[in-house]
Amino acid sequence: MFLKARRFSRTRMAAAGLAAVAMLATACGGSDTAGDANKDTLIVYTGQSGDWQLNFNPFSPTQIEGPGTIFEPLFFFNNIRDVEPRPRLGKSFKWNADGTQLDVALRDDAKWTDGQKFTAKDVVFTLDMITKNPAMNGTGYKGVATAVDDTNVSIKFTEPSFMEGPQVLGKIFMVPEHKWKDMSNPSTDVVKEPVGTGPFMLDEFKGQAFTLKANAGYHSGEPALKKVRYLALSGNQSGEAALKAGQIDWQTGPVPDIKDVEKNYPGYKAITIPMNQTALFTCSNAALGCQGPQTDVAVRKAIYYAINRTQINALAFENTASEVSPGAALLERDKDQISAKLQEKTAPMQPDEAKATQLLESAGYAKGSDGVYAKDGKPLAMTLKVVAGWTDYITAVDTMTQQLQKVGIKITAQQVSWNEWSDARGRGEFELLIDALHQGPAPDPFYNASYFYSTATTAKVGEAANPNFSRFSNPAVDAALTALKGVDPEDTAARQPYFDTIQTEIEKSIPYIPVLTGGTTSEYNAKKFTGWPTKDDLYAFPAIWARPEASEIYLKLKPAGQ
Amino acid sequence: MRYYARKFAFYLVALWAALTLNFFIPRLMPGNPVDILMAKLAQRGGTVDPSARRAYELLLGTNSGESLLSQYTSYLGNMFRGDLGISVSSFPTPVSQIIGEALPWTLMLVGIATFLSFVLGIALGAFVGWRRGTWLDSLVPATTVLAAVPYFWLALILVAVLSSAWGWFPLQGGYDVVLWPGWNADFIGSAIYYGTLPALTIVISSVGGWLLGMRNMMVSTTAEDYVLTAQAKGLRDSRIMIKYAARNAVLPSVAGFAISLGFVVAGSIITEQVFSYPGIGSKLLQAVQNNDYALMQGIFLVITVAVLGANLVVDLLYALIDPRTRVSG
Repeated sequence: MFLKARRFSRTRMAAAGLAAVAMLATACGGSDTAGDANKDTLIVYTGQSGDWQLNFNPFSPTQIEGPGTIFEPLFFFNNIRDVEPRPRLGKSFKWNADGTQLDVALRDDAKWTDGQKFTAKDVVFTLDMITKNPAMNGTGYKGVATAVDDTNVSIKFTEPSFMEGPQVLGKIFMVPEHKWKDMSNPSTDVVKEPVGTGPFMLDEFKGQAFTLKANAGYHSGEPALKKVRYLALSGNQSGEAALKAGQIDWQTGPVPDIKDVEKNYPGYKAITIPMNQTALFTCSNAALGCQGPQTDVAVRKAIYYAINRTQINALAFENTASEVSPGAALLERDKDQISAKLQEKTAPMQPDEAKATQLLESAGYAKGSDGVYAKDGKPLAMTLKVVAGWTDYITAVDTMTQQLQKVGIKITAQQVSWNEWSDARGRGEFELLIDALHQGPAPDPFYNASYFYSTATTAKVGEAANPNFSRFSNPAVDAALTALKGVDPEDTAARQPYFDTIQTEIEKSIPYIPVLTGGTTSEYNAKKFTGWPTKDDLYAFPAIWARPEASEIYLKLKPAGQ
Repeated sequence: MRYYARKFAFYLVALWAALTLNFFIPRLMPGNPVDILMAKLAQRGGTVDPSARRAYELLLGTNSGESLLSQYTSYLGNMFRGDLGISVSSFPTPVSQIIGEALPWTLMLVGIATFLSFVLGIALGAFVGWRRGTWLDSLVPATTVLAAVPYFWLALILVAVLSSAWGWFPLQGGYDVVLWPGWNADFIGSAIYYGTLPALTIVISSVGGWLLGMRNMMVSTTAEDYVLTAQAKGLRDSRIMIKYAARNAVLPSVAGFAISLGFVVAGSIITEQVFSYPGIGSKLLQAVQNNDYALMQGIFLVITVAVLGANLVVDLLYALIDPRTRVSG
């Protein structure tokens, strides 16, 4: 997890320096650390720090594993490529015309690992259970499911709910009725002996590692990958050490000198996928209580034009980040939905200082004797919060501070603890902060927009926003988001006008000033296993902590030589 | 007897004060556990629908609107009964279970390492102090330099050389994950093997302090009249060094050792971090990062009780050894 990646930067630098010493020493000694016992076992590190605490409940926020591997969803939605959902427990699904009824056909050859048959009743039981226990309902599912027969389920919604599809079909994990119906409190049960339909089952559990093994009775055939072991390490720095020693086969997180992974870690490869937009979050809405110069859209625009994205990418992100759209959609994945009405297709990689100063001057700012713009006697100075230890963001912030100083905007970077930062972000008690915007369950720009730009997900300053932190509120965007819920996602022509509205409105007010699209990097052992996703064949988003994405990758992996 | 009653009363008040601080300090920290869970899930991609927030608030029972005072009284009551609550970061595992699993590892590792560095430091210190003015004096700056080197740096050097390069010791972890934890020779052997390098780093970095203290006390006791008398009696040199000089010189170090035993429970966060060791220090870090109040308080409670307990024992022992401390002013 990149949160943890940024901790202990000094330790990491020390480790990098020592690596050189270690390399010299290995040249003389040389030891083979990959034991024969682990030859067919994929050993992974998820970024979880500290020992494992047993919890295989797929509805628990602190579960350690299960979604996709032990418990399956009905379909797998590839959230990085716009492709048809891949059937898992479902065979096909169909919405009615107004998006209020979803009919799902299930496969008839799936079995729970205790031998019982999987039927439509299990699906109805699972969906009913999370409606009855709001604490388990992390997806906000509000439907009513009925079993038509053993292999058909029909789900009714009270309002048009096309956009709920990927959540219901792809993010709710089916559990067996015969095992779960007698649980006194299913939301807090840790499910010691998980029984699922998935390609893997629990082999053994220990605090320092747990192992999954292939399910010989899996409905689509036993996976070629026989075992997956999850190690407990203390953080990214120890993840790197384990990678160096060849003790783990897959981890997701940056390592120093990413472009030379193949040289530094023989047999390993790295893949970087652009996913979340790094942005300067601004508390933008004075009507909801935001204070500071950044509530003025001219200031936000001036920052947008004054930063040098090429330089930031090189200095802070080892050139793993990529261009970003000013309209809050992903450039590559969402290219079909990107509005032609945007003034700029991508945020400029080179600064336009003349434009920035002109924007400020026409908004009534005048340059003071100290070179900083001011309006009504107040200098154009803002604080920018960044989490202490997140070295790449800190470098980005320092670079931006210098770039903005050139155009007369004064930024003071504040390094704060993660807790303090997330608290300030939630309550809107900040002027600027640096963070990333996350995506939803399916390759659709709707989700990002509905999370970060809708009035329903924001709150007054002082109350926790969930998660519209910039306090952006725009009736046109809200109306477009509501309308999109009632349009069949297949009907791209009917959806486009709404995306046009959302993206152009966002471009006009840029409540989150886009910096770059951040890359998620994984390092994996290509010598031991084949079948990893590549940029040309991105059958799933490659991150070990992504669930159920990781299970799709396990299904494709084969021990080398087979 | 009044002396002992006063001591016990004092420690009771200290315990209450510590418990109260434990309660209030975490609650003054910014952030709340639900936000942290949401952020963690957001990074995994997927289920971060705004509805998840409500689900987690319900699950964790935060936002209950209970007043601070009633939380405080139920907290004290629970602590009194030994009920440390449920951990948020490892929900729904009870805090007592997490501590119970982590504590033995830390006690063994840090306990043995502290004991070894104490014994080693005292023995070397006594010898160096006895032979003051010889080349042995150079041991003092040599070991204090090791103590002054930032601990994580020393640990990383040893890891790079002894584990990564030469492969003598495992890189990280508490035991070979292929084995089952339990009382069998394979597992215990593996736990000792995995614990050797972390223990070695602690010994190397802390032996200097004991050595320096013991050496300097030794120097002052050798100037005492009773040592001179013993020498005049013509006793064997080694006997004077051990029975006369070192025995008196060690007293302050014993007090220091008892106190450091109390801190053994707190573990060594950095050791456990560098070696991914399954102890209480890494749990404390996890608790702080996740605003896991219950786990933080549970660990603080264990540390507080251990430190106070060790101090109490030292106090009582000192009263026995040295009657002067008992005289009330």
